[in-house]
Amino acid sequence: MAEEVPVNPDIELVARTQAGDARAFDELVIKYSPRLYGLVYNMTSNHEDANDLLQEVFAKAFRSINGFRGKSSFYTWIHSIAVNMTINFLKKRGRRFQMSLDDVDLNIQNDKEFIELTATSSPVRQADLSELQQKLNESMLKLSPEHRAVVTMFDIQGMPHAEISKILGVSEGTIRSRLFYAHRQLQAHLDEFRKR
Amino acid sequence: MQEDPDEISKLLRLKRFEQPTPDYFERFLEEFKDRQRAQLLREPAWRIAWDRMWAFLGEQMRPRLGYGLASTAVLAAAAIASFNILESRSVEVASAPEQQHPAAQTASLNLNADQVQLPDLPSLTPSTAHTASLNTPRYVMDARPVSYEPPSSF
Repeated sequence: MAEEVPVNPDIELVARTQAGDARAFDELVIKYSPRLYGLVYNMTSNHEDANDLLQEVFAKAFRSINGFRGKSSFYTWIHSIAVNMTINFLKKRGRRFQMSLDDVDLNIQNDKEFIELTATSSPVRQADLSELQQKLNESMLKLSPEHRAVVTMFDIQGMPHAEISKILGVSEGTIRSRLFYAHRQLQAHLDEFRKR
Repeated sequence: MQEDPDEISKLLRLKRFEQPTPDYFERFLEEFKDRQRAQLLREPAWRIAWDRMWAFLGEQMRPRLGYGLASTAVLAAAAIASFNILESRSVEVASAPEQQHPAAQTASLNLNADQVQLPDLPSLTPSTAHTASLNTPRYVMDARPVSYEPPSSF
Protein backbone atom coordinates (compact mmCIF):
# COMPACT_ATOMS: atom_id res chain seq x y z
CA MET A 1 0.00 0.00 0.00
CA ALA A 2 1.33 3.42 -0.96
CA GLU A 3 2.18 5.76 1.88
CA GLU A 4 -0.05 8.78 2.21
CA VAL A 5 1.86 11.96 1.55
CA PRO A 6 0.82 14.66 4.01
CA VAL A 7 -0.83 17.50 2.13
CA ASN A 8 0.69 20.91 2.74
CA PRO A 9 -2.24 23.06 3.97
CA ASP A 10 -0.68 26.08 2.27
CA ILE A 11 -1.24 24.50 -1.16
CA GLU A 12 -4.96 24.27 -0.53
CA LEU A 13 -5.14 27.81 0.82
CA VAL A 14 -3.21 29.12 -2.20
CA ALA A 15 -5.48 27.23 -4.61
CA ARG A 16 -8.56 28.65 -2.91
CA THR A 17 -7.10 32.17 -3.07
CA GLN A 18 -6.31 31.69 -6.75
CA ALA A 19 -9.92 30.63 -7.24
CA GLY A 20 -11.04 33.95 -5.72
CA ASP A 21 -11.59 33.04 -2.05
CA ALA A 22 -10.15 36.04 -0.18
CA ARG A 23 -10.78 34.36 3.20
CA ALA A 24 -8.23 31.71 2.33
CA PHE A 25 -5.64 34.44 1.92
CA ASP A 26 -6.66 35.85 5.31
CA GLU A 27 -5.69 32.50 6.82
CA LEU A 28 -2.29 32.75 5.16
CA VAL A 29 -1.89 36.27 6.56
CA ILE A 30 -2.75 35.05 10.06
CA LYS A 31 -0.35 32.13 9.73
CA TYR A 32 2.66 34.01 8.35
CA SER A 33 2.40 37.52 9.80
CA PRO A 34 4.17 36.81 13.16
CA ARG A 35 7.10 35.10 11.47
CA LEU A 36 7.38 37.63 8.65
CA TYR A 37 6.99 40.46 11.13
CA GLY A 38 10.04 39.13 13.00
CA LEU A 39 11.99 38.96 9.75
CA VAL A 40 11.10 42.48 8.61
CA TYR A 41 11.38 44.04 12.05
CA ASN A 42 14.82 42.56 12.73
CA MET A 43 16.02 43.87 9.39
CA THR A 44 14.59 47.39 9.85
CA SER A 45 14.75 47.76 13.68
CA ASN A 46 11.65 49.91 13.50
CA HIS A 47 8.11 48.79 14.30
CA GLU A 48 6.32 51.36 12.13
CA ASP A 49 8.48 50.52 9.12
CA ALA A 50 8.01 46.81 9.79
CA ASN A 51 4.24 47.24 9.96
CA ASP A 52 4.03 49.25 6.72
CA LEU A 53 6.40 46.91 4.89
CA LEU A 54 4.55 43.83 6.02
CA GLN A 55 1.27 45.30 4.76
CA GLU A 56 2.92 45.90 1.39
CA VAL A 57 4.41 42.40 1.37
CA PHE A 58 1.01 40.77 1.81
CA ALA A 59 -0.58 43.16 -0.69
CA LYS A 60 2.05 42.23 -3.27
CA ALA A 61 1.66 38.54 -2.51
CA PHE A 62 -2.10 38.83 -2.95
CA ARG A 63 -1.71 40.62 -6.30
CA SER A 64 0.84 38.09 -7.55
CA ILE A 65 -0.69 34.90 -6.19
CA ASN A 66 -2.03 33.86 -9.59
CA GLY A 67 1.59 33.74 -10.77
CA PHE A 68 2.53 31.34 -7.98
CA ARG A 69 2.96 27.95 -9.64
CA GLY A 70 4.06 25.97 -6.60
CA LYS A 71 7.63 25.33 -7.80
CA SER A 72 8.78 26.40 -4.36
CA SER A 73 6.77 26.29 -1.16
CA PHE A 74 4.51 29.22 -0.30
CA TYR A 75 6.73 29.72 2.75
CA THR A 76 9.82 30.24 0.55
CA TRP A 77 7.89 32.36 -1.94
CA ILE A 78 6.45 34.81 0.59
CA HIS A 79 9.72 34.99 2.51
CA SER A 80 11.58 35.94 -0.68
CA ILE A 81 9.01 38.68 -1.39
CA ALA A 82 9.46 40.00 2.17
CA VAL A 83 13.28 39.87 2.07
CA ASN A 84 13.55 41.51 -1.34
CA MET A 85 11.09 44.28 -0.46
CA THR A 86 12.87 44.94 2.84
CA ILE A 87 16.32 45.02 1.20
CA ASN A 88 15.00 47.51 -1.39
CA PHE A 89 13.43 49.59 1.38
CA LEU A 90 16.68 49.64 3.39
CA LYS A 91 18.68 50.68 0.34
CA LYS A 92 16.27 53.56 -0.29
CA ARG A 93 16.16 54.54 3.38
CA GLY A 94 19.94 54.63 3.67
CA ARG A 95 21.02 56.08 6.96
CA ARG A 96 17.73 57.81 7.78
CA PHE A 97 16.30 55.59 10.46
CA GLN A 98 15.06 55.67 13.98
CA MET A 99 15.08 52.65 16.17
CA SER A 100 11.90 51.89 18.03
CA LEU A 101 12.05 49.65 21.03
CA ASP A 102 8.57 50.11 22.35
CA ASP A 103 6.16 47.16 22.43
CA VAL A 104 9.05 44.82 23.10
CA ASP A 105 7.91 41.58 24.64
CA LEU A 106 9.37 41.56 28.13
CA ASN A 107 8.98 37.78 28.37
CA ILE A 108 12.65 37.77 27.41
CA GLN A 109 13.45 37.90 31.14
CA ASN A 110 11.94 34.45 31.57
CA ASP A 111 13.82 32.94 28.67
CA LYS A 112 16.21 30.14 29.62
CA GLU A 113 18.90 31.29 27.23
CA PHE A 114 18.66 34.86 28.45
CA ILE A 115 18.95 33.84 32.09
CA GLU A 116 21.88 31.60 31.30
CA LEU A 117 23.61 34.31 29.31
CA THR A 118 23.17 37.03 31.89
CA ALA A 119 24.33 34.68 34.65
CA THR A 120 27.53 33.58 32.93
CA SER A 121 28.61 36.70 31.12
CA SER A 122 29.57 39.46 33.47
CA PRO A 123 29.56 42.42 31.02
CA VAL A 124 26.14 41.38 29.82
CA ARG A 125 24.93 40.96 33.42
CA GLN A 126 25.93 44.53 34.11
CA ALA A 127 23.98 45.84 31.19
CA ASP A 128 20.27 46.19 31.56
CA LEU A 129 17.84 44.63 29.15
CA SER A 130 17.11 47.68 27.04
CA GLU A 131 20.79 48.54 26.72
CA LEU A 132 21.57 45.03 25.56
CA GLN A 133 18.78 45.10 23.01
CA GLN A 134 19.80 48.53 21.82
CA LYS A 135 23.38 47.39 21.38
CA LEU A 136 22.25 44.38 19.38
CA ASN A 137 20.09 46.54 17.15
CA GLU A 138 22.88 49.04 16.63
CA SER A 139 25.25 46.25 15.70
CA MET A 140 22.74 44.83 13.27
CA LEU A 141 22.16 48.19 11.62
CA LYS A 142 25.86 48.46 10.85
CA LEU A 143 25.61 45.41 8.60
CA SER A 144 24.65 45.71 4.93
CA PRO A 145 21.00 44.81 4.13
CA GLU A 146 22.11 41.51 2.52
CA HIS A 147 24.19 40.50 5.55
CA ARG A 148 21.43 41.59 7.91
CA ALA A 149 18.97 39.39 6.04
CA VAL A 150 21.19 36.33 6.42
CA VAL A 151 21.85 36.96 10.13
CA THR A 152 18.14 37.54 10.78
CA MET A 153 17.09 34.34 9.06
CA PHE A 154 19.88 32.14 10.44
CA ASP A 155 20.67 33.45 13.91
CA ILE A 156 17.38 34.99 14.95
CA GLN A 157 14.82 32.87 13.13
CA GLY A 158 16.84 29.66 13.11
CA MET A 159 16.38 28.81 9.42
CA PRO A 160 18.76 26.27 7.85
CA HIS A 161 21.30 27.38 5.22
CA ALA A 162 19.46 25.50 2.46
CA GLU A 163 16.20 27.35 3.10
CA ILE A 164 17.95 30.74 3.21
CA SER A 165 19.72 30.00 -0.07
CA LYS A 166 16.36 29.21 -1.71
CA ILE A 167 14.80 32.40 -0.38
CA LEU A 168 17.67 34.62 -1.46
CA GLY A 169 18.40 32.71 -4.68
CA VAL A 170 22.11 32.34 -3.91
CA SER A 171 24.28 29.32 -3.14
CA GLU A 172 24.71 27.88 0.33
CA GLY A 173 28.39 28.79 0.09
CA THR A 174 27.44 32.44 -0.32
CA ILE A 175 25.17 32.20 2.71
CA ARG A 176 27.99 30.71 4.82
CA SER A 177 30.42 33.35 3.65
CA ARG A 178 27.96 36.18 4.39
CA LEU A 179 27.34 34.74 7.84
CA PHE A 180 31.05 34.48 8.56
CA TYR A 181 31.63 38.08 7.53
CA ALA A 182 28.56 39.35 9.43
CA HIS A 183 29.55 37.50 12.63
CA ARG A 184 33.04 38.95 12.41
CA GLN A 185 31.60 42.46 12.09
CA LEU A 186 29.13 41.92 14.92
CA GLN A 187 31.91 40.52 17.08
CA ALA A 188 33.91 43.71 16.57
CA HIS A 189 30.93 45.89 17.58
CA LEU A 190 30.11 43.81 20.63
CA ASP A 191 33.76 43.83 21.71
CA GLU A 192 33.54 47.62 21.85
CA PHE A 193 30.50 47.24 24.09
CA ARG A 194 32.38 44.88 26.40
CA LYS A 195 35.28 47.29 26.79
CA ARG A 196 32.96 50.03 28.11
CA MET B 1 38.90 39.60 25.03
CA GLN B 2 37.27 38.11 21.92
CA GLU B 3 33.55 37.32 21.81
CA ASP B 4 32.78 33.67 21.46
CA PRO B 5 30.95 33.09 18.12
CA ASP B 6 28.39 30.93 19.94
CA GLU B 7 27.79 33.77 22.32
CA ILE B 8 27.06 36.10 19.41
CA SER B 9 24.53 33.62 18.11
CA LYS B 10 22.95 33.41 21.58
CA LEU B 11 22.79 37.18 21.84
CA LEU B 12 21.22 37.41 18.41
CA ARG B 13 18.66 34.76 19.25
CA LEU B 14 17.43 37.03 22.04
CA LYS B 15 16.14 39.36 19.36
CA ARG B 16 13.36 36.93 18.53
CA PHE B 17 11.61 38.19 21.66
CA GLU B 18 11.26 41.63 20.14
CA GLN B 19 7.68 40.97 19.14
CA PRO B 20 4.68 43.23 19.43
CA THR B 21 1.79 42.33 21.71
CA PRO B 22 -0.47 39.46 20.50
CA ASP B 23 -3.41 41.76 19.74
CA TYR B 24 -1.22 43.52 17.19
CA PHE B 25 -1.59 40.59 14.78
CA GLU B 26 -5.36 40.61 15.16
CA ARG B 27 -5.40 44.29 14.25
CA PHE B 28 -2.91 43.63 11.47
CA LEU B 29 -5.37 41.54 9.45
CA GLU B 30 -8.11 44.13 9.80
CA GLU B 31 -5.71 46.85 8.74
CA PHE B 32 -4.64 44.72 5.76
CA LYS B 33 -8.25 44.30 4.60
CA ASP B 34 -8.94 48.02 5.02
CA ARG B 35 -5.86 48.92 3.02
CA GLN B 36 -6.76 46.45 0.28
CA ARG B 37 -10.24 47.94 -0.06
CA ALA B 38 -8.89 51.49 -0.01
CA GLN B 39 -6.30 50.59 -2.63
CA LEU B 40 -8.92 49.02 -4.88
CA LEU B 41 -10.97 52.21 -4.70
CA ARG B 42 -7.95 54.42 -5.38
CA GLU B 43 -6.35 52.48 -8.22
CA PRO B 44 -7.57 53.05 -11.78
CA ALA B 45 -9.16 50.05 -13.51
CA TRP B 46 -6.37 49.76 -16.11
CA ARG B 47 -3.81 49.42 -13.31
CA ILE B 48 -5.72 46.60 -11.64
CA ALA B 49 -6.13 44.87 -15.01
CA TRP B 50 -2.40 45.32 -15.75
CA ASP B 51 -1.40 43.87 -12.35
CA ARG B 52 -3.70 40.90 -12.81
CA MET B 53 -2.44 40.22 -16.33
CA TRP B 54 1.17 40.47 -15.15
CA ALA B 55 0.46 38.14 -12.24
CA PHE B 56 -1.37 35.74 -14.56
CA LEU B 57 1.62 35.56 -16.89
CA GLY B 58 3.60 34.38 -13.92
CA GLU B 59 7.28 34.41 -13.16
CA GLN B 60 8.04 31.68 -15.70
CA MET B 61 6.54 33.60 -18.60
CA ARG B 62 8.11 36.95 -17.77
CA PRO B 63 11.66 36.22 -19.03
CA ARG B 64 10.24 34.82 -22.29
CA LEU B 65 8.02 37.85 -22.67
CA GLY B 66 11.03 40.05 -21.96
CA TYR B 67 13.08 38.32 -24.68
CA GLY B 68 10.15 38.61 -27.09
CA LEU B 69 9.80 42.33 -26.45
CA ALA B 70 13.56 42.87 -26.74
CA SER B 71 13.67 40.93 -30.06
CA THR B 72 10.74 42.95 -31.39
CA ALA B 73 12.46 46.18 -30.40
CA VAL B 74 15.69 45.10 -32.16
CA LEU B 75 13.78 44.11 -35.32
CA ALA B 76 11.87 47.39 -35.30
CA ALA B 77 15.11 49.36 -34.91
CA ALA B 78 16.71 47.35 -37.77
CA ALA B 79 13.66 47.95 -39.98
CA ILE B 80 13.75 51.70 -39.33
CA ALA B 81 17.50 51.85 -39.97
CA SER B 82 17.26 49.89 -43.26
CA PHE B 83 14.30 52.03 -44.37
CA ASN B 84 16.38 55.17 -43.78
CA ILE B 85 19.31 53.71 -45.75
CA LEU B 86 17.07 52.74 -48.68
CA GLU B 87 15.46 56.15 -48.66
CA SER B 88 18.81 57.96 -48.76
CA ARG B 89 19.96 55.69 -51.63
CA SER B 90 16.85 56.45 -53.67
CA VAL B 91 17.55 60.16 -53.20
CA GLU B 92 21.12 59.58 -54.44
CA VAL B 93 19.89 57.64 -57.50
CA ALA B 94 17.41 60.37 -58.29
CA SER B 95 20.13 63.02 -58.29
CA ALA B 96 22.72 60.79 -60.02
CA PRO B 97 22.10 61.80 -63.76
CA GLU B 98 23.24 65.32 -62.98
CA GLN B 99 26.62 64.00 -61.90
CA GLN B 100 27.20 61.71 -64.93
CA HIS B 101 30.17 62.09 -67.27
CA PRO B 102 29.54 64.79 -69.90
CA ALA B 103 30.21 62.24 -72.62
CA ALA B 104 27.53 59.96 -71.30
CA GLN B 105 25.12 62.86 -71.05
CA THR B 106 25.57 63.73 -74.73
CA ALA B 107 25.39 60.12 -75.81
CA SER B 108 22.41 59.46 -77.97
CA LEU B 109 22.13 56.02 -79.49
CA ASN B 110 19.90 55.82 -82.45
CA LEU B 111 19.37 52.13 -83.09
CA ASN B 112 17.36 52.74 -86.23
CA ALA B 113 20.17 54.66 -87.90
CA ASP B 114 22.47 52.88 -90.39
CA GLN B 115 25.49 53.85 -88.51
CA VAL B 116 25.60 53.96 -84.82
CA GLN B 117 27.28 57.06 -83.64
CA LEU B 118 29.34 56.54 -80.59
CA PRO B 119 29.83 59.42 -78.28
CA ASP B 120 33.13 61.16 -78.25
CA LEU B 121 35.43 59.46 -75.87
CA PRO B 122 38.47 61.12 -74.42
CA SER B 123 41.43 60.43 -76.65
CA LEU B 124 44.31 58.42 -75.30
CA THR B 125 47.58 60.27 -75.33
CA PRO B 126 50.86 58.36 -75.79
CA SER B 127 51.75 59.09 -72.22
CA THR B 128 48.70 57.28 -70.96
CA ALA B 129 48.69 54.56 -73.57
CA HIS B 130 50.13 51.19 -72.77
CA THR B 131 53.51 51.29 -74.43
CA ALA B 132 55.31 48.75 -72.32
CA SER B 133 54.86 45.98 -74.89
CA LEU B 134 56.87 47.99 -77.40
CA ASN B 135 59.98 48.01 -75.30
CA THR B 136 62.15 45.13 -74.26
CA PRO B 137 61.53 44.09 -70.66
CA ARG B 138 64.00 45.27 -68.17
CA TYR B 139 64.43 43.41 -64.94
CA VAL B 140 65.53 45.46 -62.02
CA MET B 141 67.35 43.93 -59.07
CA ASP B 142 68.79 45.99 -56.22
CA ALA B 143 67.76 49.15 -58.05
CA ARG B 144 70.11 48.35 -60.92
CA PRO B 145 68.80 46.96 -64.17
CA VAL B 146 69.91 43.36 -64.59
CA SER B 147 70.53 43.93 -68.24
CA TYR B 148 73.33 46.31 -67.27
CA GLU B 149 75.21 43.52 -65.48
CA PRO B 150 78.06 42.02 -67.44
CA PRO B 151 77.30 38.48 -68.53
CA SER B 152 78.81 35.96 -66.18
CA SER B 153 81.30 33.57 -67.68
CA PHE B 154 81.97 30.19 -66.15
